Amino acid sequence: MDSAMMLEARGVSKFFGGVKAVDEVSIGVREGSIHAVIGPNGAGKTTFFNTLSGFYFPDSGRVTYRGSEITRLANWKRIVLGMGRTFQTPSVFAELTVRENVMLGVRARAGVAFRLRPPAGEERETLEHRVDELLGFVNLGRSKERLVAELSHGGQRLCEIAMSLSTEPSLVLLDEPMAGLAETETDRIITVIRDLRQRLGLTVLFVEHNMRVVLSLAERITVLDRGKVLAEGTPSEIAANEIVRDAYLGKEALDHV
Amino acid sequence: MKARAELIAGIVVVAILAAGPYLSPLIHVDLSIVSEVLVTALAVMSVNLLLGYTGLPAFGNAAYFGLGAYGAALSAKYLHVDFIGAVIIGTASALLGGLILAPFLLRRRGIYFGLLSIAFGQVFYFVAYRFTDVTGGEDGMNFPRPLVLGHYAINETTFFYVALAAFVGCLIAFRTVVRSPFGRTLVAIRQNEARVRYLGLNTDRFIFVALLISATLAGLGGALFGLLINFAYPLELDWHQSGFFVLMMILGGAGTVWGSLVGSFIYVIGKDIISTQTSYWQLYLGGLFVACVLAFPRGILGTLLARLNARPAAADSEPHG
Amino acid sequence: MTHDLAPQLFNGLVLGAFYGIVAIGLSLIMNLTGTINMAHGSFMTLAGYLAYTMVQRGMSFWVALIVAPLIVVIVGVLVERGLVRPLYKREPFYSLLMTFGLSLMAEEAFRLIWGPNGVPFSPPPALAGAAALGFMSFPTFRIFIAGVLIVAIVALALFLTRTRFGLRLRAAVQDTEMIAALGTNTQVLYAVNFGLGILLAGIAGVLAAGMLGLSPTSGNALLMPAFVTVIIGGMGSLFGSIVGGLLIGMAISLTTLFIPAASEVAMYILMAIVLLVRPRGLFGEEGIFG
Ligand SMILES: Nc1ncnc2c1ncn2[C@@H]1O[C@H](COP(=O)(O)OP(=O)(O)O)[C@@H](O)[C@H]1O
Ligand SMILES: [Mg+2]
Repeated sequence: MDSAMMLEARGVSKFFGGVKAVDEVSIGVREGSIHAVIGPNGAGKTTFFNTLSGFYFPDSGRVTYRGSEITRLANWKRIVLGMGRTFQTPSVFAELTVRENVMLGVRARAGVAFRLRPPAGEERETLEHRVDELLGFVNLGRSKERLVAELSHGGQRLCEIAMSLSTEPSLVLLDEPMAGLAETETDRIITVIRDLRQRLGLTVLFVEHNMRVVLSLAERITVLDRGKVLAEGTPSEIAANEIVRDAYLGKEALDHV
Repeated sequence: MKARAELIAGIVVVAILAAGPYLSPLIHVDLSIVSEVLVTALAVMSVNLLLGYTGLPAFGNAAYFGLGAYGAALSAKYLHVDFIGAVIIGTASALLGGLILAPFLLRRRGIYFGLLSIAFGQVFYFVAYRFTDVTGGEDGMNFPRPLVLGHYAINETTFFYVALAAFVGCLIAFRTVVRSPFGRTLVAIRQNEARVRYLGLNTDRFIFVALLISATLAGLGGALFGLLINFAYPLELDWHQSGFFVLMMILGGAGTVWGSLVGSFIYVIGKDIISTQTSYWQLYLGGLFVACVLAFPRGILGTLLARLNARPAAADSEPHG
Repeated sequence: MTHDLAPQLFNGLVLGAFYGIVAIGLSLIMNLTGTINMAHGSFMTLAGYLAYTMVQRGMSFWVALIVAPLIVVIVGVLVERGLVRPLYKREPFYSLLMTFGLSLMAEEAFRLIWGPNGVPFSPPPALAGAAALGFMSFPTFRIFIAGVLIVAIVALALFLTRTRFGLRLRAAVQDTEMIAALGTNTQVLYAVNFGLGILLAGIAGVLAAGMLGLSPTSGNALLMPAFVTVIIGGMGSLFGSIVGGLLIGMAISLTTLFIPAASEVAMYILMAIVLLVRPRGLFGEEGIFG
């Protein structure tokens, strides 16, 4: 097994009743890379992410993280190992403030979430500082005391990303981080994803529809269609791949690149 | 500011309660009924922790309440322990019950958790109902209120202050728990458990501890209730009783620290007054359920607090840090 | 004692079929709307009392057996539309509390109208007595009950698998939003589903009144075994409800024969064992936690 592989899936399948949502999918995400998963709606991208992150377990196949098997490992343990994820619809604590959202993760990471005594003194300062740092990273510092429910869709996405980062992951899975966002918000997320690797040195696996974004961000692309891997390669390989062009991308999408 | 206001309000409420022996005759309520309000509030708190804060439909907490009452009753009657011993054994029985049920309840969430709570809670009802030789079966069991350390008798007034002390102690403990990092995590679990797990936290562990705290609180309430009326009966364990606790929690305000007292006060005093006026208490009670759910789902304190700070009660903010 | 075994087993099966059919009604309502219908027993009792009154007024048992459940269905659909539906958007325990309150009121109302004690409701002469079945003889009425319950279960199964509406209903249980997107009128779906659950409760209620007695709380006595049935069979599985019901019926009647004091506790022990081996019940589906 390649030691530079951060996350590997081998022949992963997941069925819902008769639907083969994910069918024998294999993927290898290299350490330090930005890897994209693309495919039409219903291709099984979210389901695949769910099996990778342990939201549910695959019906067959193997998932390994840094070389050790995690196929049936409880989802929260994967976070402790160093994985993080966001959901297609932002998964946040809407009734709490931005600060409180991120603080939950910071406390979890610091191992104080289970305590009865609130952190005080220096410890508290450290935790608060960490929250500020994370909010600064996603540029949400000004919204710190607002309820997450009041934020825009993009704001909630950023808050969720900050929350995923609060557990100090080495690998983050982002499910359609730009879906439903305005142009300016999209640019903000693109910057954040670049920074994830450049400033924090993380490995990123993300699902995205916008080809302009995918081709400019990703180093490797895996194309899913009807639960199967249709193609895998570098952006230029994928852009040139006839099957992908025919099946999914449509010529215009690529001609604009 | 807010913390100061809460502290003052709390002191005022406790001071009024402490004057109970002088005030209760004014509203033509027996002091023992006010004691009942206080011990019932403990059971309501226990439901509040699971349902109001953690979002788990705790429809079986009467089991712990009843275990507390029977634990106290049986140990007083057959083991001849003193008052303190009866309270401890009653509470411990409930904790043990919680430990036995937790592995089953922990596996499920949502309505399935509610269904399992109802069903498993009912086991204890049938045990009490059927073991007539020991428990007196359907008729329940009488027992004399044990003396403290075998010497000091506890009259109604003393009992009232015992109940008040237990209530205040539990309220402070409860408040500490729900405002702690642990408690904030419970609230987060209620809002979005999957997300909490994706913060690397084993939510089962949090829920397990919440269940045990809840069982203990309900058990203490039940033990004191048994010692208050010197009687234990199967209906204390029944799912109807669990439903009444949930109603009281909603009445007072789910996810509020003081809501348990408010709900318990309205229910217990209301029942005492209404059931002497009419024999159709149950009709009114059912109507109260319907009205409360339709018109007043956030309860009295929930509505009040939401007015004050425009935030959902259980999510109310914490001091920084 | 062993010569009691066969009739007792048969009793267990009939009892189990009751639990199964009540559990299916509960399950239908629970799966589609997340409502644990605590008033389910009250609907059974109501059907029993209505049938009782009809027979008292000189109507035939057969008419009552059909009309009483239908009246109860109308009541049920009205309750669903007026009181339960507004709660679907809220957390599910609100609808549980609502139906709990309704059951308390109903119980008191039964007491007021039909008296606090049980009333005698005996099967018609044609179904009285016993019939030989193989080498044993069984009460005719119980054989009749078994027949009706089997017909009801088969009819339900056909409805759910062979009709367009039934298929939509099953699909909706999987994914309410998708069905709404496909343009199915979910409001009608909810009402029909609730009515169907109540119809099963109503039929079981009339039959149970004849077999197990009729009092303000008689329906509620079947509620808890029905819950346990749903848990044992696995939530969401109608087939599981039938198997679970029969298992409990047998467990109860066998313990009644051998250890009468443990007859109620038996089903809980069965439930605990099943859950230890299969946390989601015999035919339950996998969830995301655990
Ligand atoms: N929980 C589920 N139950 C049943 N079917 C599902 C479930 N989740 C996804 N599916 C089905 O699996 C297929 C893949 O869905 P999904 O992974 O969400 O696709 P994508 O994210 O690529 O749009 C779809 O046909 C979808 O209907
Ligand atoms: Mg998706």
